[in-house]
Amino acid sequence: MGDIAKETPLKAALDGGVLTLTLNRPERLNAMSQELIGLIIEQLDRALAESAVRAVLITGTGRGFCAGADLAGTGMGTVTGADGKPDLGIVIERLYNPMIRAIRELPRPVIAAVNGVAAGGGANLALACDIVLAARSARFDQAFVRISLMPDLGGTWLLPHAVGDARARALGMLGTSVPAEEAERMGMVWQVADDDMLMAEAMQLARRLASGPTLAYAAIKRAINAAATNTLDQQLDLERDSQRALGRSADCKEGVAAFLAKRPAQFTGQ
Amino acid sequence: MYEKIDLAVADGLATLTLNAPDKLNAVSRKMIAELKECWEGLANDASVRAVLLTGAGRGFCAGADLADPDREASAAADSGAALDKFFNPVIRTMRAMPKPIVAAVNGVAAGVGMSFAMAADIAVAAKSASFLQAFARIGLLPDGGSTWFLPRLVGDARARALAMLAPQISAEQARQWGLIWDVVEDTELMKTATELARRLADGPTLSLARIKEAMNRASGNPLAAQLDVERDFQRELGRSADFKEGVAAFLAKRKPTFKGK
Repeated sequence: MGDIAKETPLKAALDGGVLTLTLNRPERLNAMSQELIGLIIEQLDRALAESAVRAVLITGTGRGFCAGADLAGTGMGTVTGADGKPDLGIVIERLYNPMIRAIRELPRPVIAAVNGVAAGGGANLALACDIVLAARSARFDQAFVRISLMPDLGGTWLLPHAVGDARARALGMLGTSVPAEEAERMGMVWQVADDDMLMAEAMQLARRLASGPTLAYAAIKRAINAAATNTLDQQLDLERDSQRALGRSADCKEGVAAFLAKRPAQFTGQ
Repeated sequence: MYEKIDLAVADGLATLTLNAPDKLNAVSRKMIAELKECWEGLANDASVRAVLLTGAGRGFCAGADLADPDREASAAADSGAALDKFFNPVIRTMRAMPKPIVAAVNGVAAGVGMSFAMAADIAVAAKSASFLQAFARIGLLPDGGSTWFLPRLVGDARARALAMLAPQISAEQARQWGLIWDVVEDTELMKTATELARRLADGPTLSLARIKEAMNRASGNPLAAQLDVERDFQRELGRSADFKEGVAAFLAKRKPTFKGK
């Protein structure tokens, strides 16, 4: 038997304005190696730089979405600090946090198609996306406490902001595995799709967003990011400034004209 | 006298009705200018102890009137100006006024119409009513405070989807998600909402005002700071006539008669 060519841990494909990123370590349920996260960050940088990318779709190969940090091999567990002791903070600082920040700050919609188990950091990678579709058989699992850690990749922030403080505490402390339908009911994810329809529905959504008013989506994202810490008073001013800028965009002119003419709008992202 | 809205005040309860039913009460420049003046008047009128907001006809409010000639002339130039001059002052006044606002959502609440419903303290909707963050459909972002209200009411994840995908959601869905307080049969809406507003208008106004202000502050406060707010407000309320009346009535097992003082 000859050598099996090493497959890339992240597949990236740009089509119709949608950049699809597929976590591709199915034998490890797409657990996050350092290499995988480095590649995700690289592609998010590309999405930021290339105007042809108007939406990003993140999903996984095989039966899992992402099993979280790879505790074996080249994962975070093996990294030691200057004192020779294990230092989980190094990989978080260098890879995990930049990835989550890049998703939240990217001025394009980011969709997650959660095709199977999303555990630990894998769950929070999904929850950091703007719109999450989950296969009916998928699960969201804040597994950290089972190995005496706490949720990271933004989990301690994302959870209370999505499902409320009371549920967030229980999920974090109990490490409960939440089935997709329950996750939808509590507002953790946007919608559940039948397993065999997930990718079609997620791609349809991504294409719709990729042909939508990109500047408006970017402004919505920025505004909702800011809303978490702004007072209502500050937020009203932010809306005023953003709306002023959007009101002068070509897409807004087209949107209003199309609305008045009762025809579908043709947005260009400008 | 107003042209695009209707105001009726009786025994401490003001009923404010958006009144452009042929346009599902879409907000023209004329209407928002009248709303601003009206809300400011209600905020400052001590005889008004609660406000009921609703719409005439089959809609609650269809959002900004895109066909309004006054709007078309200026919107392309500066859509921030109308927010600054009219819409934002209305939302600020609604949230800051020291008395409860009940919204009776009698039909579609779209765009800034949905913002008005969310800015109210208690929203009750007719079963046939619907809610829509229409803004992204015309290349805008939600305004009227919607980017702030939405994540606080339905959570960050749903807020992003509602704003970006602009789906129309039913009153029942809105209730399940905590976007509104209650849903009732269409034929029961005005009766239910008016009873609720009447009860609040006859209630302990200072207490209701402090509940409102405390909730306003809670969204930005750490718990430690909020405990101090509660201490200070409670001290103040403990010196009010309505508190004395409330305690006396409780001990005498009779119904209290609050005066709003």
